Amino acid sequence: MTAIEIRDLAKSFGSVKAVDGVSFTVEAGSVTGYLGPNGAGKTTTLRSLLGLVTPDSGEALVDGRRYVTLPQPVSEVGAVLEATSFHPGRTALDHLRILCVAAGLPDQRAGESLEMVGLADVAGKRVGGFSLGMRQRLALSSALLGRPKIFILDEPANGLDPAGIEWLRGFLRHLAHDQGAAVLVSSHVLAEVEQTVDNVVIIAKGRLVRQGTLKELITNGDTAIRVRASNAADLAPALEAAGAAVERVEDGLLRVRGIDAEAVGQIALDRRVVLTEVTQERSDLQKVFLELTGER
Amino acid sequence: MIGLVKAELRKLFTTRLWWIMLIVMVVLVGVNLAFIIAFAGVSQNGGPALPERDTMEWAQVAWSVGSSGGIFVMILGVVMITSEYRYQTVTGTFLTTPRRERVIAAKLITGLLIGLLFALVILVFEAATVVPTVLLSGGEFSLAETRIPQVSVGILASLALYGLFGIGLGALVRNQIAGIVGAVVWAYVIESIFTAIPALHSVGKWLPGGAAQSLMSIDIDTGLGRPEWLPAWGGALVLVAYGLLFAVVASATTVRRDIT
Repeated sequence: MTAIEIRDLAKSFGSVKAVDGVSFTVEAGSVTGYLGPNGAGKTTTLRSLLGLVTPDSGEALVDGRRYVTLPQPVSEVGAVLEATSFHPGRTALDHLRILCVAAGLPDQRAGESLEMVGLADVAGKRVGGFSLGMRQRLALSSALLGRPKIFILDEPANGLDPAGIEWLRGFLRHLAHDQGAAVLVSSHVLAEVEQTVDNVVIIAKGRLVRQGTLKELITNGDTAIRVRASNAADLAPALEAAGAAVERVEDGLLRVRGIDAEAVGQIALDRRVVLTEVTQERSDLQKVFLELTGER
Repeated sequence: MIGLVKAELRKLFTTRLWWIMLIVMVVLVGVNLAFIIAFAGVSQNGGPALPERDTMEWAQVAWSVGSSGGIFVMILGVVMITSEYRYQTVTGTFLTTPRRERVIAAKLITGLLIGLLFALVILVFEAATVVPTVLLSGGEFSLAETRIPQVSVGILASLALYGLFGIGLGALVRNQIAGIVGAVVWAYVIESIFTAIPALHSVGKWLPGGAAQSLMSIDIDTGLGRPEWLPAWGGALVLVAYGLLFAVVASATTVRRDIT
């Protein structure tokens, strides 16, 4: 079953259309990156999904139902929203124990969840003294309390140091790929999620601009192969004869389109030309992102 | 619902405000009692004096001071709900319990329980001060001929209902400062005007403070005429009605708002 389904979702705040007819799905066992610049409507979408915001029209469903109708929401969906939602005078453990008793979960889940995010040794410390990164981990541990199979995370990498981001990536991949969870994670920094996500949904100004696998996005448009050869002048006509479009970049360097790397190698072998470089050019993900979201 | 009430109690007891409020309340009741002890039997400008310290009439007057703790329970009730918005813990609360009216119901029950707890502390404190004062002044302490049991029940009921009232008010206002200032201004300014001026008294007895006074059902001549309160049960109903009305109105309006 589709874990998360957003259908024609729309929500306005005053005259501002925060989300304007967005639809996408997230399947179990995968990490989906929900990407867009600040103010694109990511948070509004996620909060609609969690019953915190009432959409004007359309539907946002988890496991085929609205979040507010779930009998045990914490055991089905783990959510990480902004990292500021803690009482500064309360300890990390107490914060989680409150959620446990409200959700009807055993109290020891609180300690276990803190251990899972590496906060066990500060369990008894007041949250007011926590760094932003520690708060993010605490928020994540609260999402783990009910051992859910669906995770919804809004900018979880905010405030994390590089080591923390690396840890988060591994953690999300583990949840999705090893435990079969469906993970929806939003970010405004593509590079942050590039190594984590399987699928991407890109939103800009409240509208969906792109949805697909990360691979599809990277190989967006026609990609070229950079070929450096000892005798490029000889190789170029042969490649063209095989149907490739060849651009002579500089002495000894060609950009080849229309055929794949294997064909290039075969032709070079036939011509007895020594290849010193064959590189599949990746389109710059950040560039694609900026183009799609209209930031440039 | 039991789990939700437990969660609310944990929220309160895992932060510091509750015992700060408890101490301040006991200190205030203590100061009031000190005045009543000091001015017992003293006649001011020929006006009616407080009874002598060794009488049960005096003990009854002293005992009724406990009702002044209501404001603290009310503020605590306001904070219990507004701090959720202030620190955005309301996000986690509504994620755990998406049916928001259940959260409000749990908070109302918790407000009642906290009011009872605070009232019990006051009663113990009063017993520990008033009884020795009467005995040391040479009087004899006997509950039989006083209304102290009724006054005690009145204190328990009025503090519990003030807790309910504070929750309802907080749910409606959402803003912590506005809620607390509103509660204090209401209790100390508006209520005193309505209960002190006889002409306004027919309105004043229907206000929360007047209703709480009626629970004490004790006659104190303020010099401006003997106020006429509602019957005790009527006062209780009025307080319950205020708390529930606020909570219901809040559930239909502010509580339903988007949490962004």
